[in-house]
Order: sequence, then structure tokens, then C-alpha cells
Amino acid sequence: MNRSLIISSVLHALLIFITAMSLPFLAKKPLDIPPIVSVELIQIAEKTNIPFAPKAKKIIEKVKEKEKKLVSEQAPPKKVKKTKTKTVLAPDQNNKKIENETPEAIPLPDKTLKKVETKEEKKQNPEKVDDEVKQVSEFEKKDLFDPNNIAALIDKSKEESAEVLKTNDDITQDQERNVENTGLTLSEEDALKAQIFGCWSIPLGLPYNENLLVRIKLKLKPDGTVSKTEILDHARMNKPGQGFYKVLAESALRAVKLCQPLRVPTTGYERWKELQLNFDAREMLEG
Amino acid sequence: MRLNKILKNTLLVLTACLVLSACATKKEVATDIQGQMQGDVYTGTDTVEYLADGVPDRVFFATNESILTTASRETLRAQAAWLRKNPSINVVLEGHADERGTREYNLALGERRANAAKDYLMTYGISSDRITVLSYGKERPVDSGSNPLAWSKNRRSVTVKAN
Amino acid sequence: MTKKILILLFILIPIKANALIEVDITRGNLNPLPLAVSPLSIDEESRKGFEKILKKENIGSEISNIVENNLRTSGLFNPLDKKAFLQAPDIANLKPRFEDWNLIKAQALITGKVNYVDDKLRVEFRLWDVLAAKEMMALAFTTVPNNWRRVGHIISDKVYERLTGEKGYFDTRIIYVSEEGPKTQRIKKLAIMDQDGANNKFLTLGNELVLTPRFNPASQMVTYLSYFKNMPRVYLLDIETGTQEVVGDFPGMTFAPRFSPDGKKIIMSFAKDGKSDIYTMDLENRIVEKITNHPSIDTSPSYSPDGKYITFNSDRSGYQQIYVMKNDGSDVKRISFGNGLYGTPVWSPRGDLIAFTKLHKGKFYIGVMRTDGSGERLLTENYYQEAPSWSPNGRVLIFYRETKTNSKGEGFSAKLWSIDLTGYNERQIKTPTDASDPSWSSLLSN
Repeated sequence: MNRSLIISSVLHALLIFITAMSLPFLAKKPLDIPPIVSVELIQIAEKTNIPFAPKAKKIIEKVKEKEKKLVSEQAPPKKVKKTKTKTVLAPDQNNKKIENETPEAIPLPDKTLKKVETKEEKKQNPEKVDDEVKQVSEFEKKDLFDPNNIAALIDKSKEESAEVLKTNDDITQDQERNVENTGLTLSEEDALKAQIFGCWSIPLGLPYNENLLVRIKLKLKPDGTVSKTEILDHARMNKPGQGFYKVLAESALRAVKLCQPLRVPTTGYERWKELQLNFDAREMLEG
Repeated sequence: MRLNKILKNTLLVLTACLVLSACATKKEVATDIQGQMQGDVYTGTDTVEYLADGVPDRVFFATNESILTTASRETLRAQAAWLRKNPSINVVLEGHADERGTREYNLALGERRANAAKDYLMTYGISSDRITVLSYGKERPVDSGSNPLAWSKNRRSVTVKAN
Repeated sequence: MTKKILILLFILIPIKANALIEVDITRGNLNPLPLAVSPLSIDEESRKGFEKILKKENIGSEISNIVENNLRTSGLFNPLDKKAFLQAPDIANLKPRFEDWNLIKAQALITGKVNYVDDKLRVEFRLWDVLAAKEMMALAFTTVPNNWRRVGHIISDKVYERLTGEKGYFDTRIIYVSEEGPKTQRIKKLAIMDQDGANNKFLTLGNELVLTPRFNPASQMVTYLSYFKNMPRVYLLDIETGTQEVVGDFPGMTFAPRFSPDGKKIIMSFAKDGKSDIYTMDLENRIVEKITNHPSIDTSPSYSPDGKYITFNSDRSGYQQIYVMKNDGSDVKRISFGNGLYGTPVWSPRGDLIAFTKLHKGKFYIGVMRTDGSGERLLTENYYQEAPSWSPNGRVLIFYRETKTNSKGEGFSAKLWSIDLTGYNERQIKTPTDASDPSWSSLLSN
């Protein structure tokens, strides 16, 4: 005990000595570095900038907090039904079926697993006969990504834009991207963006490692209502394995409809009577 | 001026050392008061039962470890002597883990602990035919507490008479 | 002159192309999609018919309640309050007045009808896009009345798939271990229930300890660990017939079983002489193969969905960490390098992620990482939680959580919880008893 105490104090003393001799460098004044201030450069036109919606992560966090608070209320989403307490008693009822040489097991008494038959729907609704038969037969097949299926589903969205397609054939899908911002000022664009951000419910089930860009061309009336919409990469909706693209395109169309009338500038209708919206979900889903 | 600086530093370092050593002693005192754990291995006798007079039935382990401590070896030597005296008795070594690990890993860990005990008994001349190893993982704690002391009691290998 | 025109044209064409204004929309809201689940309409005769068989006053609203509950718990949808609905169910199913549904801010609408036909339950339903004012889908089922809950789940799956672009997970079941009694002497039974907690049934009586049941992704088989006769071994159980058998003939404890993605093999650990290695057994020809050979503990194996790789945890580095290897045991690579211990890796059915349990500084986390170990994300933190199991679409994880006991060792409980990949939709799954070791089945209706 004593010896270790001595050794310890000697070592400590040594340590103190060494440290004391080598410490003076600390006395040097540190370099005086001014604090770094990050500056965001934003071009301002006519009106002030409307703040962007916060980044996806922040939204998630916020929602998370909200959800957390709500957990106690939301946690029991299922109402406890009387049937439940009945099933608890199941083992007693099944006591007879005890094992011999293998561990005990109660076979499920009822065959709940009987296949649910899917049958073709016969039209009930005289008004929309064609529609219905088409829709139903689609789902007879198991695979949603069957190209035939999708073709059928897409028919309708095509109808909607068929007219526009004709008139705008001259504007190809490959047009150069260096054309942005020729028409709207930054604050005009911000106002429109902010409005659509609020309307667009991004389908969370989308694969996040795919190209998730949907380009929609709009024809607008002077009051900001939409007279026509056209999905530019329409062909992609028909491709097998791209079922998610249709879901995304539909969500974008919903956003446009929900936002009507769009917050367009009060002047210069000629500039923006045609507008292309590029919906890209990747940033949100990756966040 | 320079001397002054050195003196100042010495003082600083000395105080730091004092503060630190104060911490260290306090900790020691704390475990002394509890007196039931060394490191995080249980050394008390609360849960211990006896196979015979002076033959404790269990040994304890540190977190995630299956190494036998000096005390454990002593216990196992007593068990080996008792088994030699009673050649008709066979034993089951039940290995256990605390609740702070995943279930499947703990099953393997319990088996490893019981095997550590088995190997030691074998080096003292007990035939492996007389020993069965059974792991319970974290399924059968002796102390239902959620604190370091309870966990230390649960990290164990218990020798149980099989016949 | 013509030259001039040509030049003019050349100048004009690009200008014309440039005239279209583009606006990039890179953000949206992640709020659940508001939709309306109109109760399925039912005529008086059918209603009475079902009331007699199923003891449910109105089977139409019961089914729509299931749909509504499923969609809400997914966290992706916000079913609106039925009190605000302006249109009667039967009329809405014929032709919704979209303005009315638009008024209550519904973006989608589900309507339908229930009939009692030849002692069978016939259900048709439709999904409408309210903003586009058109039908998105229509489907009809005929089944035995007792299957009414499953009809609700199948409708939920179809709607989920149509609106999110990925398969649903509602027509599924969960097998788990039911727990009762004091912590030191827990009685454990195998139990099975629907994904929403309904139809709970016990599969064993609790005479012996049972642990870690797992569904076969391809059939109604289950593999689990039983302490039958105090010999912990991996068993195979057919939940429809109740027959079961020991897997393999091992001279010691086998544990941590799991099926291969095609359901034809069981992969598990075998513990002997203080080390645990990973083995597979082919269920058709009963051939046993040793996959790892290392003095450490190798356990909790899980196949990749293509069956080519296996992830497992091992303490070969000194501490429990996650590794990936080829399915023959070659090319072992450690993938977890964060602070703390990592265990129970489970490969996502989508193949892109591995879910795991992490222990760090006295806290347990459920998290996911990419299959090369990058991109670690911790979804939830708690005193104790482990053993995640994926929903068949790879979006939701179910796991169990245990509470800390007080100074007297009281207050212990174990419950099932689920969380989706975003990490914010966390819910408890109600079970009649305490519960642990959940395993999610594949979609039953495939």
C-alpha cells in the first residue's frame, strides 16, 4: 500500500513537472480569427421574397415532434372489441389438444385462409358502362405493372391532354434547360412556388433512388385558373416497372388542381399564359 | 515573468490532479459501501445457493464476458471436489445473461459462460459425460431489477444437480 | 428576301422555345393525404342476413372502419371525419358529387357496396380522384362472410398501392411471443394475429419456453425456438395443421432461426463448446451445411431477398457487430462501424436496407443502414427495444420494447411497436398480453 502510494506520488510529481514545463505554449495569444458569417445572396425584385418552405428534414422533424405529442392519444388506434377478450380464452377451449412427443401446439381451428375470390364486376351503373368494365378487368390481373394495365389506366389522363398535345407539338421535350427565369421575376416565381409547395402531397411510397421528375405544361387563364394540363413525359407512364411514375404524375396534377387559381403575376399575361412546372420529389424523399 | 508563468501552471495542474483524485476516491468508496460488486462482477451472496456445505452453486461474470474471475475459479474448484466425492451426481450448467443485450446473442453468450465453467470443471478431473450445458440467455433472471447490481446478479452460470 | 426570312426564322425558333416559363417544384408537404372513406352501402335485406351470421349490426360500416383504420395507421393518409360527409353512401357509390367532397378537402374518395348473395359476402368498391373528378379503380370480391375483415384489408392494400405506388401490407399477419407472469418466471406462448391486432390466437399452451418465431415468406409455416424437454432446439410448425418437427439433429442448442426468401431453407445458429456458428438446412432433402466457422459467436442470420447474401452479427472483433457474407460463407465483411454494439440485422424485402438493433451508452436504438453499412439512420431510441421485422413492402418495421423496472423490480412490461422508415410514425400494436419477438408475414392475398 505504502509503496504504491510513493510510486504514485513520484509519478504524479514527474507528470506535473513535465506539464508545467511544456505548458507555457498555451500562454501564446491565439490568432484572432473573425467569426465566419455566412451570407446568402438573393436577388430581389419588385416585391420581397416569400420564404421557402423549410427543408424536408426539418418538416419531418417538426411532424415528428407533433406526432410524439400525439402518440399518447393516437397510440391506441384500434378499439378493443369484445371479440378480443373472447379469443384470449382460446387456449382453455383447446386444452384437449395437448401434445404427445412434440411440443404443444394448438392448430388454428378455423380456416380463415380460404382464398378470397376476386370476381369480375358487372356494370351496375348505366351511366358509365365503358369506363367501369375497363377498370375492373384491369385488376383481374395480379400485376399492376403489366404494361397493358397501365396503358388502360392512362387512357384517361391522355384524353385530358390530347388536345394540348396537338397544338404544342413544336415544343419538344428536349428543349434546353437554360431558358429558366426568362419570364417571371424571382419574387413572382417564389410566390407561385410557395403556393404549390403547400398543395403538393408527395406520395411517400416512391422509390427514392429513381428519377422522380414530372414535367407538366399548363395553359392558364388571366385569373390564374388552369384551362389545360399536359404531362410531358407521357410515354414513361406506359413503361413497365414505372408504376410509381404514374402515382407521382397524378399527385402533381392534384397539386395543380388544388392550388387553383394559381398565384400568377397581375400583369403580363402573354408571358405566363403557358407555364411549365417541373415537379421533382427526389430532394424531399432523400432528405 | 517566465517563472511566474511556470508557477501558475504548476498550481493549475496540481488543482486539476486533486480534483481528479477526489473523483477517483469517491467512486471507490461507493463500491465499498455497496460491497457487492467488483468492477461489474457480482461478489455478494444474496442469490447464491449451496450444493453442499461450502460449495456455492454459481459463478458471476462481467458484462459481455465469459472469463472466470479468481473467485469463480475458487467456487468451481469446490464444486469439482464435491463432484469427485459424489461420483453418482451429474450436473447441468445453466448459463445466463443480463437483460441488456439482444435475445439471440444472449442465448449464445449464456452457452459460452456455462461452457467456461464446464471447461474449468473438466480440468479438475470431472468427466464431460457428467456435465450438460443449458443456456437460458436472458430468459430467467434472478433479480427483476433494471440496475447494474441486478444485472450483475443475472450474469451467471449456475450448477444444478441433474439427478 | 428569302434569305432574310430564313435568318429571321432561325432567330425566331429558339426564341419561341425560350418563351415557355419553367418553374421547378422541388418541395411539397409530407402531410398525410386527406381522403374520405364513405361507409359501404348495404340494403336492408343483406344487412339482416349478415347480422344473423356475423353478429355485426352493419357490416358495411365495419368494413369501411377497417379500411379507415389501416390507412390512418400507415401515416400516409388522413381519413376525414364521417360526420362531415354530405353524400349518402349508396348515392356516392353510383356517382359522387365531387364538389361536395372537394368542399371537405378530400383528395380521394372510397365508396362501395355490400351484398348478401347465396350465403356469400359480395363487396364492390371504387376509388375516386376527387380533384380530377374521375374513377381510379373499381373492384369486386365474393367470399365467405367470415372473411369480412380480410376484405377490408385487401381494399386497403389496393387503395394504398394505387395512391402510393408500392404494395400495401394490410392483408398480413403477425406471429409473436405472448408473455405473462413475473419477470423471473415468464410464461411464453406463440401467438398469431392480424396485422391490426384482431383475431388473436395462441398456438402453444405455455408449458415450455418458446422464443423468436419467424414466418416463412412463401407459406404458412413458422420456425421458432422451443425449450421442449429442456433442450432448446429450432422447430418447424405448420400453423394450419398444428404439426411440428425438430429442425436437424444437432448435439446442442440451435437457435435464431429464419427462412430463406424462397422458404426452402432454414438458416440458424448452433452453439457448441462456447462458440456459435451459422448453419442452413434444406427443408426438402434435409441436408445441413455449415456456413461460418469461427471461434466467436455468429448469430441472428438473415438472407438478402435474392438469397445471394447473408447478414449476421458476430463478436469476432471483440464486440457484437454486423457482417455481410456470400451465401456460402465466403467473403465476410464487417459493415457496422459506428459507436456501440450492433445486432439483429434483418435484410429489407426491397433489398436496399438492413434494419438493426444498436446499443450505445445504455440506450437501445432501432435503425437502418444500406447494405454496405453506409447511411446509418436511427429511427427510435428507448430503454430497451430490439428485433425489428420488416413489413412485406419494406416500409414499416415492427419490434418489441421492454420497460425499465422500478427500484423494487416492479413495472416490467413488453409491448409490440411499429415505426415506418421516416421515423416519425411510431405506434403501439395492442396485444391481449405482453408481447415480444414479432415477425411479419407476407401478403396473404398474393
